[in-house]
Amino acid sequence: MTSSFKQQSSNARTNILAKLKQEVEGSDYSKLPEEPSYSYPELAQEELLAQFIGHLEANHAQVIPLKEEDIAKIVSEQLKQRGISKLLYGKNALHSEQMLTLDDDIAVEAYDFTLKGNKEHLFNNIPAGITSSKAAIAATGSIVIWPTIEEPRSLSLVPPLHFVIVEAKNLYTNFASLINAQEWQNKLPTNAVLISGPSKTADIQQTLAYGAHGPKELIVLLLK
Amino acid sequence: MSVKSIDPNESKYAASARNFRDNVTRYLANEELKNNFRGAMDYLMDKRKNSFPDANELETLREQCKLIKQRCLVKLPHLLEQLEVNLEANGIKVHWAETINDANEIIAQLIENKKGKTVVKGKSMVSEETALNDYLEARDIECLESDMGEYIVQLADEHPSHIIMPAIHQNKKQVADLFADNIEGFDHTTDVDALIGEGRRVLREKFCHADVGITGVNFAVAETGTLCLVENEGNGRMCTTVPDLHIAITGIEKVVEFLDDVPPLLSLLTRSATGQIISTYFNMISSPRKNGEKDGPEEVHLVLLDNGRSQAFADEELRQTLQCIRCGACMNHCPVYTRIGGHAYGTVYPGPIGKIVSPHMLGLEATNNLPTASSLCGACGEVCPVKIPIPKLLLRLRTESVKGKHDGPQIMKGEGSGRKSIEASIWKGWSLMHKYAFIYNTSMWFATRFRKLMPNNLGVWTSVRSAPKLAPKTLHERVKARNKKIPNKVANNAGSK
Amino acid sequence: MTSDTTTFNTQHLRKYPAKAQQVYLYGTCLADSFYPDSGIDAIEFLEQQGIEVLYPQGQTCCGQPAYNSGYQDEAKAVALAQVAQFSLDIPIVIISGSCGGMMRHHYPELLKGEPGIENFCERIFEFTEFLVHVLNVKLNDQGKPEKIALHTSCAARREMGVHITGRQLINQLENVELITHKYESECCGFGGTFSVKHGDISGAMVKDKTQNLLDTDVVRYISADWGCMTNIDGALEYQKKSLRGEHIASYLLKRTQATNKQQGK
Repeated sequence: MTSSFKQQSSNARTNILAKLKQEVEGSDYSKLPEEPSYSYPELAQEELLAQFIGHLEANHAQVIPLKEEDIAKIVSEQLKQRGISKLLYGKNALHSEQMLTLDDDIAVEAYDFTLKGNKEHLFNNIPAGITSSKAAIAATGSIVIWPTIEEPRSLSLVPPLHFVIVEAKNLYTNFASLINAQEWQNKLPTNAVLISGPSKTADIQQTLAYGAHGPKELIVLLLK
Repeated sequence: MSVKSIDPNESKYAASARNFRDNVTRYLANEELKNNFRGAMDYLMDKRKNSFPDANELETLREQCKLIKQRCLVKLPHLLEQLEVNLEANGIKVHWAETINDANEIIAQLIENKKGKTVVKGKSMVSEETALNDYLEARDIECLESDMGEYIVQLADEHPSHIIMPAIHQNKKQVADLFADNIEGFDHTTDVDALIGEGRRVLREKFCHADVGITGVNFAVAETGTLCLVENEGNGRMCTTVPDLHIAITGIEKVVEFLDDVPPLLSLLTRSATGQIISTYFNMISSPRKNGEKDGPEEVHLVLLDNGRSQAFADEELRQTLQCIRCGACMNHCPVYTRIGGHAYGTVYPGPIGKIVSPHMLGLEATNNLPTASSLCGACGEVCPVKIPIPKLLLRLRTESVKGKHDGPQIMKGEGSGRKSIEASIWKGWSLMHKYAFIYNTSMWFATRFRKLMPNNLGVWTSVRSAPKLAPKTLHERVKARNKKIPNKVANNAGSK
Repeated sequence: MTSDTTTFNTQHLRKYPAKAQQVYLYGTCLADSFYPDSGIDAIEFLEQQGIEVLYPQGQTCCGQPAYNSGYQDEAKAVALAQVAQFSLDIPIVIISGSCGGMMRHHYPELLKGEPGIENFCERIFEFTEFLVHVLNVKLNDQGKPEKIALHTSCAARREMGVHITGRQLINQLENVELITHKYESECCGFGGTFSVKHGDISGAMVKDKTQNLLDTDVVRYISADWGCMTNIDGALEYQKKSLRGEHIASYLLKRTQATNKQQGK
């Protein structure tokens, strides 16, 4: 049975490509028109930061500027305010040593299990997660997450509250400048994600509601 | 075990597209529907407008993105091969399908090979195009739509009425009633937060247990072998992260050449669609779970579907149809769509873009009424982020539809099927009359002289309007008479040498 | 209030000639048989600006009805016959935006390869466009204060960019207050054969358009397109409403004439 659809797929491939090639094979690519691009104004770092924070806040995220040594204190405070006493984090990730100094009444769990076999646990027992980030984008208020073995993709997705640590020095003007500065072309990970707020939907009568499937809240810890 | 294969021409969408006129009558009579759409379209139009404060930026981006898509189309076969090589190198399997049946069969077998029983779906219009849910359910595979709008539509046993906001035709009261009828233990409320909370509860449970995630693709990047998904809810991330098997399905036109092509396209897509400068999530998938990684699917597959796209591709003018990035702005700005709603079209893709893509998928015979159902007002073409000349393509399809017998190759399935001999004769006569001024002027002379005989009942025109009244004398005659009175006036026939 | 999507229309950014001594008038088939007054008024207005107006008696219709119905060959025969009527190298002024759009933007492709077609299309000017960009007219409003609305046809708006020139002319009239109606930029539902082929959709559109006009307190609405006005006026008459449209050529002529001169008409 498997072989039959493989054969069919292979035939389809041949037919589709043949049809397409018949139309454009031999096209002179050097004759393609030049593509314009809009040049966005250069902004100073402070302006970029303001833009970044402004967009995130407009998208219902909370941005807390802080120093690295205050991470544990702020995270503890935020969790307590919400009556949450458990946090999932990634061992050996950037700033993860800070998690060991959270208030005593907060249980800290490391994501050192495979998702398979532990789905119920992740979906039902984990109220909050924290991750680091790869970069950030000012023009759209986006945070870039490149999940790793230490900080798996579901860590920023499944827990209803997501803390993310962003370093101001990793802030880029826009998506295009980020891709080129970090040369993404050569090294995309399994999964890269741009996050620009908590999960949301306007699918019912154009009314915005947060926490559609993923995090209901996004708290950005901004290290200047 | 096997499902009977469907000729696209006989599919449920072809049948409902043939019913366009009856559908229109029915939907025009529905006041609630009309209000739902008007409200939604006003909201989306304002959001879009506000997200483009700089007209110069907008126009530069539109020109840029049009040229990006046109470049990717000129290189399409080459890019598809490159995409395949790079995806496979990354561990993502690529499958090809010419028809919707082939696509469905591939997906069904991929699921059965993994003994999958339950599927959660992210929003995918291409899977609507293939009627995948029906196909899989016939194979005893449960398919649950997880985009909130799609979930609502599935509960109501309907299809999306809009490509971006599938449940736009329903208001919150209707959704509340639907939940009350279908979800056990739901306390009736029209509070949107509570309704979404209920959907979240049900769907997270499904994400947690589903065997398979199926999604669409917004951009497939040939250069890096990456599948990009644009979404706000997080259900796309759930579908591509939690189950062990992820199957993506997309049309062959979604491939872009470079990673650099993505940022401008993404910016125009989200702003044109919902007025957001970016969606909440932009998800880039470049491989299945790697050694040591703790989550993510074991297997990732991409199904590339043709279904009429190569037919559009074969004609340089019609090829522009494939530039579409599925933002839905043409719908939001269409005065016809706003009044009849998305379901009236009967096709998977409604609105202006639906009128120009559906004939390639379903044939012109089934979709003959679509290209003519436009006043050619041009609002769609004006807002299209990739500058598809939709009104011009509608005209082209009208021409293909009424084309007489000819010796050239067939351009479209069903071409000429809209030709009626009476109508064709009328236009022949009309053309003769207007080609020869003598016939025209004589006819007009008689028409104006006997204008009292002109009927007041002009059929459908006069069902909401009074008939226009012919003038006692034509402009031609008035000018002639006037010039006689004015000395030195030579204008009578000037220029007509 | 929403939906004016017209942002940055490049199509109407064109080079305009110096003021002409002579122009052709293209009357359009609708004005010819139903509304000849507006043609005469356009001629008078142009003459008052010191321009001689030629009206070839061989003109009939731009061919748009057949063109929009998919009958290209039939449209082409008619289009060619029009081109032959306007052989002097002088501007052709059209008192309808949609016919202007047809001749300026669709003829180049329909009549591709025909000798002189580029030059012909270059000479096409919609009436208000010609007044603003070529004649640079200064209007001296003689009329009483009143409120009006403006309906710009979609073709005029999107193909010719003349929703701007119509507005500029009205704004020159000191005693006229231009009221923006809801969904001003939205189509009235005419669309030529569309209004017959899909009469129910077209009917729903014109109902909304008339309602939005009636919701204002204007005494008339002005337009430069008889297709739309036939549609809108027909619906208003059917609804037994007194509001009517007036072609912008007639309106400008009336507003700028001294009252005593008006009796001579």
